Amino acid sequence: MSNAVPKPISRWALTTLAAASLLGSAGCAATPTPAPGAEGGSGETSSPATDGAEARAYADGTYTATGSYQTPGGEESIGVTVTLESGAVADVSAEPMPSNPTTEQYQGKFSSGIKDEIVGTPIDELNVSKVSGSSLTSGGFKEAIDQIKGEAAQ
Amino acid sequence: MSPAALQHSVRFEAIGTTWQIDTLAELSAGARAAVVGLVEEYDGVYSRFRADSRIAGLAYGGTVELPPHGEHLGSLYRTLYRLTEGAMSPLVGGSLEQLGYDADYSFTPAGSPCSAPVWDERFDWTGNVIKAQAPVILDVGAAGKGQLVDLVSQTLKAFGYAEHTVDAGGDTIHHGLPITVALEHPYNTGSAIGVVPLADQALCASASNRRRWSDGLHHVLDATTGRCVDKVVATWVLAGDALHADALATALFLVPPEILLAEFDFEYVRVHSDGRAQFSSSLAGALF
Repeated sequence: MSNAVPKPISRWALTTLAAASLLGSAGCAATPTPAPGAEGGSGETSSPATDGAEARAYADGTYTATGSYQTPGGEESIGVTVTLESGAVADVSAEPMPSNPTTEQYQGKFSSGIKDEIVGTPIDELNVSKVSGSSLTSGGFKEAIDQIKGEAAQ
Repeated sequence: MSPAALQHSVRFEAIGTTWQIDTLAELSAGARAAVVGLVEEYDGVYSRFRADSRIAGLAYGGTVELPPHGEHLGSLYRTLYRLTEGAMSPLVGGSLEQLGYDADYSFTPAGSPCSAPVWDERFDWTGNVIKAQAPVILDVGAAGKGQLVDLVSQTLKAFGYAEHTVDAGGDTIHHGLPITVALEHPYNTGSAIGVVPLADQALCASASNRRRWSDGLHHVLDATTGRCVDKVVATWVLAGDALHADALATALFLVPPEILLAEFDFEYVRVHSDGRAQFSSSLAGALF
């Protein structure tokens, strides 16, 4: 992972990228857009916002599509991969295809890394000031859980 | 030890979690009283677990006026309600009770999961005024703690404690020299999956490993279905304030980061139930 300091993103970049992100916005509401394989090729520029408005049923699988958007420096593209499971979006990732360094910087923010399997390291062995996880449970919650565990054990 | 270590600590229990405030100099009695008063007041307004809280009145419908900061909470919830297509909602209280997470901590589901009411149909939260035309059970657990962390931080600043850490059960804001924070493993609380540096930012976490009362039942719900979310098991968000970090950490259970990055500036780690972790590429720190 890089040590890059987070940089503020200008508004126009976010607004234009938002159009590409609609590919993944369907969530459980269905209508993600699969790769336009039927139209030939795997990277045809599409207009995700309009495609997503139609209700269709799609087979499960992984689809990749390329979205384009306008920037002050010209048209840019971003590749989006969507995995469908049971008709709903199970995973979405975005692959930047920058044609200039400025866009790369903005798209780098937009895309994410994936770590295949997280590995645990004992907290005691780490030199840390704090631990951040789920909220420590309240007294009442903890008591009730202990009670349930006690009853379940009998 | 670093010369600027925040070595004076105060610990207390409030809103269902343990708080720790670290400062350079010992907190004055006045500052302490202000913090305690603030936390008590917030709890008195928003607690779903208190029959005498201000929002408890909404269980009969009607109008409730919140403190001025209620406006920020409401407008952030409204934005996230839109971005998650209704999956993240403060109206989820009834759905949580249906699954057994009620004021008595019964942990006994009352029936099948039920979806939360639709925001604009019978519910309006404009400015710091909430109007409910029908009974609603408000639960601001997804963002309220973060906002309270910010309010405590602001109070500390007002009392002259510019450098401080406020840690509410792992939801933390820190001002001062960077500290290193471990990210707790969602399946093994004795270990960490990574570390991040924290300075002049907030770090909040959401996970379904705690506050889980029986197989498959925990506190992170999709409000549109009333069902628990199980594809994502833990999230962390680094943002400028704890209100946003807390709220976005929950929103990441419900929608992919891209949706939220379109309108918010933040760093994140998101752990899926299969053990994979997704993270913002500019995140400083390390995942193991």
